[in-house]
Amino acid sequence: MTRRDPLLPNAGIVARHEYRDRVRSPLYLLSTVILMGLALAVALTPIGIRYLDRQRVDRIAVVADDDRLAAAMIATAQGIMNIAPAGADPETWTAPYAFERATDLATAEAELVRQRINAYLHVYRLPEGRLQVDYRTSGPVDGVQSQLAGFAALSVAIIDWTSSLPAGSQLGTFEAPVFDPRSISAPIEGGEAVDAVEAASRSFLGTVFIILMFITILIYGMWVATGVATEKSSRVMELMISAASPRQLLFGKVVGIGGAGLTQYIAIVIPAVIVLAFQDQIALAVLGETGAGLPIGGLTIGLLLAYGAFFLMGFTLFAFVYAAVGSFVSRPDDLQTLSLPLSLLAMAGYVSALTVLLSGGGFVGRLASFVPPFSPFAMLARLMVSTVQPWEVALSVGILLVTIALVALGTVRIYATGVLLYGQRPGIRRFIAAARHAG
Amino acid sequence: MLAPVTLVIDRVTKRFAQTLALDELTFSVPKGRIFGFLGANGAGKTTTMRICLGILQPDAGDVRWEGTRSVELPRRTWGYLPEERGLYPRMGVLDQLVYFASLYGVPPAEARRQAEHWLARFRIPEYADRRAEELSKGNQQKVQFIAAILHGPDVLLMDEPFTGLDPVNLALLREAFVELRDEGRTIVFSTHQMEAAEALCESLAIVDRGRVVASGTLADLKRTTRARTVRLGVEGEILPSWLTSIDGVAAVRPAAGFMELELRPGTEPREVLASALARGASVTHFEVAEPSLEAIFIEYVGHPAGDDATLESALDEDAA
Repeated sequence: MTRRDPLLPNAGIVARHEYRDRVRSPLYLLSTVILMGLALAVALTPIGIRYLDRQRVDRIAVVADDDRLAAAMIATAQGIMNIAPAGADPETWTAPYAFERATDLATAEAELVRQRINAYLHVYRLPEGRLQVDYRTSGPVDGVQSQLAGFAALSVAIIDWTSSLPAGSQLGTFEAPVFDPRSISAPIEGGEAVDAVEAASRSFLGTVFIILMFITILIYGMWVATGVATEKSSRVMELMISAASPRQLLFGKVVGIGGAGLTQYIAIVIPAVIVLAFQDQIALAVLGETGAGLPIGGLTIGLLLAYGAFFLMGFTLFAFVYAAVGSFVSRPDDLQTLSLPLSLLAMAGYVSALTVLLSGGGFVGRLASFVPPFSPFAMLARLMVSTVQPWEVALSVGILLVTIALVALGTVRIYATGVLLYGQRPGIRRFIAAARHAG
Repeated sequence: MLAPVTLVIDRVTKRFAQTLALDELTFSVPKGRIFGFLGANGAGKTTTMRICLGILQPDAGDVRWEGTRSVELPRRTWGYLPEERGLYPRMGVLDQLVYFASLYGVPPAEARRQAEHWLARFRIPEYADRRAEELSKGNQQKVQFIAAILHGPDVLLMDEPFTGLDPVNLALLREAFVELRDEGRTIVFSTHQMEAAEALCESLAIVDRGRVVASGTLADLKRTTRARTVRLGVEGEILPSWLTSIDGVAAVRPAAGFMELELRPGTEPREVLASALARGASVTHFEVAEPSLEAIFIEYVGHPAGDDATLESALDEDAA
């Protein structure tokens, strides 16, 4: 039988001490204020994009072999899609769409691919006489623009039908045109096509989140390592290790510093959530009637929660390893040597997430979203820019939690030995040998 | 009357890689006594204390307090002053004392009250709200001593508690030792300062290379030793260089008006006198004194306490 050292209350006492120590430091307060500002900027980014975009005019080309059809299409679309909203000042209001005739279909397609135009309408007559209007866009096909284009196609068909009737003749059967809308956007993971602006917004936000996670995990992880190393270098560890078990000290430290990180996260998230909660009102104030009500893509409360969850799990995993590393050096200065491999590991996770954000990630990105320590980064990135199945999130979280538990067990052994070693040159061999001899 | 034995270190063996740190180390400590655990640097004192506390596990043997294995006892049974002094440099003195005590389960208000009492007792009440880094080393050491006793442990393990203290603080610490002993606490302290040990400890064990080579009460050890202490005064010279070259002289200490010579076992005092006279010295004082603790130590270990290699740090190396 050996001494029973339940985690509480000592782990809680250590955690409270570590927490207070961190949150009272000027550096912590400064970094919190800076990150709050950054979060506010990120939360306002979609509105900012819309604001910068509000004077944008979407160019839509019209392709038709028949000059009359082309002219009718342009006139109709102009009338339907460029109706000024009620209350708009005619002096300042700009029509959101500009229509132009393309010389041929190939030219229009090339222009669309090069994003020189936003869409084109190809109008042609089918052998049986009906009109067909193909609508090709770089945006989604279920958006307002697409619907308006459909109305315009219908109207052209009506004009075409009525104008083709002989004077004084009875009305025949109207045949609705064939309207074929398609997006040229590559569907993102999950098969859902996303508007280019929305995709860019999500990708931008995802990049900010991943950078934020990478930086905070490294910073908070180094806090843990430095905290342990400082206790060793100041020799206070000898007192601590006799008053509390290594497990209590380790968990207290990780929880305390993690709590300080969580506090900072909450301080960052609250203003962002407030902005999200009032985004319609803010958009109305910034963009006016014409911009209000537009869907603002990107940041959602769900994504903020996902960020918080993956940050906490990622931090916990790295914090345990950083604690083990910290227990192995005699001075905080020596941490540079041992923390480099850890930084590279976090960097690998960061890069895998960026791959997901920029190009969907493919198999490697998908795999990384399940494999710790990359999964907190890669899964968050997938959540930002794609549709992820719930079972995939559950599996990723499950693997991550099991890994954290295993790493914690190993770290307690290493920590128990490491904290008593003084005057050692840090090295991987010593690290492993100590873990084997511990206990 | 003999005090009941309550702390038993029973055939404790500890090996770090190729180094045998403790070799069936065995001794016992009477309850409510001040016990000296004497040995040179690297003899195994710190390792023994760490095993008592459960920080290290022995390869064989065990430590028992009042019949219960040490690893089964609550941590608050022990108070520990490590040899490596350390406090949180930027934390207030009172705050960290309360923090340490709370880890042993002392309520914060009680810890604060006790801490203030001891700070006053050690004449540093004005440092309660200062950062530890603002204190002198001696005062930091007193704060660390308070940290070790604040939770009222049954057994105090003090690793080199007198190192670096000035005479005033040394006296304060000795008084505290006696006071704690009178409260019924058992104090085990390691040192290689024989004068301090001789002044304080009632029982002791001398350890050398992981083995106990002598143990018992100080009076018993003095009675049974073959070591001799000679006090020799020589006119004109405070510390003649030739003294150490006399056969059989293990150590020389200057004292008021004379030198105190520790003789190796088997060396007769008259041989020292004859050597001094043969060198033409004008002897003003010659006395065969009761053997000092240092003489006893030299008899068992073969050299003064401060002369050994730092085996303890070598053990740290081997641990990894």
